[in-house]
Amino acid sequence: MSRDPENTRPEDRARPAGAASPRTPVVPPPPVDRRGFLFKFGLALNAVAAALFALPLIGYVVSPMRRRAWQAWIPLGQADAFPVGETRLATYRNPFTVPWDGVTADIPCWVRRISESSFQVFAVNCTHLGCPVRWFPESSLFMCPCHGGAYYEDGKRASGPPPRGLFEYEHKIENGQLVVRGGQIPTLSQQV
Amino acid sequence: MKSLFSSIGSWLDERLGLSETLAPVMGHQVPRDTASWWYVFGSATLVLFALQVVTGICLALVYAPAANEAWASLEWLNYQQPLGWFLRALHGWGSNFMVGMMTVHMIQVFLFGAWKYPRELTWLVGVFLFLCTLGMAFTGQIMRFDQDAYWGLGIGVSMLARTPLVGPYLVKLLVGGPIIGAETLSRFFALHVFVVPGLLIGLVVVHLVLVLRLGINEWPMPGRLVDRETYREKYEELVQADGVPFFPDAAKRDIVFAGVTILAVIACAAIFGPMGPNGVPDPTLIRTVPRPDFFFLSLFAAFALLPPWMETVLILTAPVVGIVALLAMPFLFGLGEKSWKARPMSVLLVVLALVILVTLTRLGITSPWSPDMDAWSADPTPVRFLEGRTPLEMRGASVLQAKQCRNCHSLGGEGGERGPALDDVATRLTRDQLIRQVIQGGGNMPAYGRNLSPAEVTALVSFLETLHPANQPPARDASRPAAGARPPA
Amino acid sequence: MTSRPGSSLLARTLAAAIACAAIAGCDSLPGKPREADRPIRPSEVTDFAALWGTNCAGCHGADGDRGSSTPLANPVYLASATDAAIRGATADGIPGTSMPAFATSRGGLLTDQQIDLLVQGMRSRWGKPVSPTPPGIDDATAGDPGRGAAVFAARCASCHGQDGAGGPKAGSVVDPDYLQLVSDRALRAATIAGRPDFGMPDWRGESGREPLDAGQVADVVAWMASKRPAPIVATAPAAVAPAHAANPAAAQPTTTRNDHVP
Repeated sequence: MSRDPENTRPEDRARPAGAASPRTPVVPPPPVDRRGFLFKFGLALNAVAAALFALPLIGYVVSPMRRRAWQAWIPLGQADAFPVGETRLATYRNPFTVPWDGVTADIPCWVRRISESSFQVFAVNCTHLGCPVRWFPESSLFMCPCHGGAYYEDGKRASGPPPRGLFEYEHKIENGQLVVRGGQIPTLSQQV
Repeated sequence: MKSLFSSIGSWLDERLGLSETLAPVMGHQVPRDTASWWYVFGSATLVLFALQVVTGICLALVYAPAANEAWASLEWLNYQQPLGWFLRALHGWGSNFMVGMMTVHMIQVFLFGAWKYPRELTWLVGVFLFLCTLGMAFTGQIMRFDQDAYWGLGIGVSMLARTPLVGPYLVKLLVGGPIIGAETLSRFFALHVFVVPGLLIGLVVVHLVLVLRLGINEWPMPGRLVDRETYREKYEELVQADGVPFFPDAAKRDIVFAGVTILAVIACAAIFGPMGPNGVPDPTLIRTVPRPDFFFLSLFAAFALLPPWMETVLILTAPVVGIVALLAMPFLFGLGEKSWKARPMSVLLVVLALVILVTLTRLGITSPWSPDMDAWSADPTPVRFLEGRTPLEMRGASVLQAKQCRNCHSLGGEGGERGPALDDVATRLTRDQLIRQVIQGGGNMPAYGRNLSPAEVTALVSFLETLHPANQPPARDASRPAAGARPPA
Repeated sequence: MTSRPGSSLLARTLAAAIACAAIAGCDSLPGKPREADRPIRPSEVTDFAALWGTNCAGCHGADGDRGSSTPLANPVYLASATDAAIRGATADGIPGTSMPAFATSRGGLLTDQQIDLLVQGMRSRWGKPVSPTPPGIDDATAGDPGRGAAVFAARCASCHGQDGAGGPKAGSVVDPDYLQLVSDRALRAATIAGRPDFGMPDWRGESGREPLDAGQVADVVAWMASKRPAPIVATAPAAVAPAHAANPAAAQPTTTRNDHVP
């Protein structure tokens, strides 16, 4: 950083060749002053450096939100493993994973097989605030343990605070496999 | 020995100049009235923060902030690491105490008018300290990476996602990806350990400098109005006329209270132990009942009780409105009366806020709106309701259990509280009404019509009809002849 | 820093006390997490009391009896039922009744190992030798309703009424709705093992009488079963029924309420 002119007596300093007038301490230095130029140059240099420094930093931090498509087709196993007329818990490994995700990348979903060829796949996340709903086959209801949301077997809201029915996965049968499209945490503003 | 210490002391002092800088600060004059037990909460909060820093650093020596290791390292701390459980308990209870103490401090400052001219900035910084502390509490709950942490994050994400337009982006920014996982824990670790504590330390310094510069708020007297022209002069006069040195006159109470507080934290840690972790944060384990830590139980309760139409609006606006109100307060009401005795609305506001907070927290603990997920298979039908029942009524009792009715309805005080208790349901509903309610639902009860066979309905209703006290007859349909004639089933 | 002897002694004693407490005392503090409280996955629970308390107590009673469904803490029941049948009922449920399927393979929450533990636990806790040996609950020989009516009149009518429609001490066992909700096996279980928890005698009847033989049990069960109305619509397991209603094409044959033998 630049030296403070006040702390150095003028006679101690090597006088710059161009500076004719006796220097008054501090401001305002003449615009053509080399010292003043250096200060401004320093500021500008640091502004550029700060920008160059900050941009990748910000880009690094916000990178998850710049990517748009966090969805992929994920196999849930043989379709025949799901009995007709029942709703079963299926789990899959989230494809957007890092090696140290541990068990958090194992994602559950509810698979309802309505008939031989027709399925519904629900996210476990309650549409109210995301708690895991549990299927009760005896009463044919999904119940949420947090705020008491309940859904019918087809995912429609039955009672409680949820603003809508359960989130559903897009799905298809491929070579006898049930495949769903997922990867994101489902919320009111984004698909599963 | 003594001379060695004093010579080291004076050697250091010559270089550090503490007696020139620190001594006047410690000994600065404060109004005599402020040497009071009412003025100890701020320093106690600071001491608790220091405690949190120390225990936090200790925990960081062992804790593994990676999603696949975190839970195991917490288990290790609890069961393998010598005194690990105690450190976890100290940190956990320290956080409870810090949030509590800070709230008490805030209420005291609010009631004593300490936020009025010229201490507006001190209050603003205090508000941000409050927010940062709550931020520490939430991120800390995530550090305890168990099922509550995982689904607590899910709740946070669901709230954030309701933001119009940018909701999905904010979610991804917060969790560091499309879904809660490794990068979520790492992000919250960075927040909990570097970002928020850094902010806290900086803000605490500003807060303290402001307190020293502007002087501690004098004991408020009704009728002694704050005036921008005269206040500072009057304060000077007060300190000159009737001041005492902060150290030791006022500080001795702070010191005693801080000691008591620390001992209380230690006692709680020793007696009640660490919080959790509960089950491993595996989302496929859906047999879980997520609950937030106590600071957020009131919020949790509010979400269950709010009418759905105002929920999103409130989630998005209430925090903003609340924070803006706290920030704007000293600029809107920064002059005039300071004493709570002359500010009944303020006292009312505090009482109201506390009543709401305590009520909601209490509700949050019992969560009467949540189904009791295991009640149907875990809570036996009380024997007194089964004695002397016919085989059909017994089947009805089994239907009541098996169809998960008790997840929402209690019998003998056990079971969910979402719906009304069924102990004396027969005194409220006639047979026809019972059948209709079971089949069609309504009043926040799902319809069971598609899900019960006619025989099951008959059995269930037969059992329900027996649920009335011996000395109280069952409800009767006034439109039918009273002579005990049963309607056809 | 005073050097008064009294004060330094006090300070040293205090410090020593705190140090001792810190080193020796911490392991016995009430807050130290106990090994028993260590959280485990629900699938790893192997404690019989915990498994029973979470999954069975609701219908079969906290201690295995005095619940709404068949009491299992009944030595006669345990002596009369086979392990395979108990395990099968627990794993797959009993269609048409309130007994749900608990095995994970059937959409329940218990592993096969946990179901085995439950069966073994019931036997070791509540099983006792019974004499004479009771007829087998899982022995599903067909009986004769006509002979059953006579057996009923002789042995059951004193409580359940002459026609079975309810008597002074017990309710109707021929109620069509009741019969639709119980399997023949459950009728046999009630006849053989009784409901000692609520005062119903087992197959030996009141003291001083000859126990029912296997044939009599089969006959009386057949008589009660003959009163059962034919199933109208699918009253199959709850989860299946509505799905069938919505998709007639997918409907399976209606589940009959006959013996459930896994």
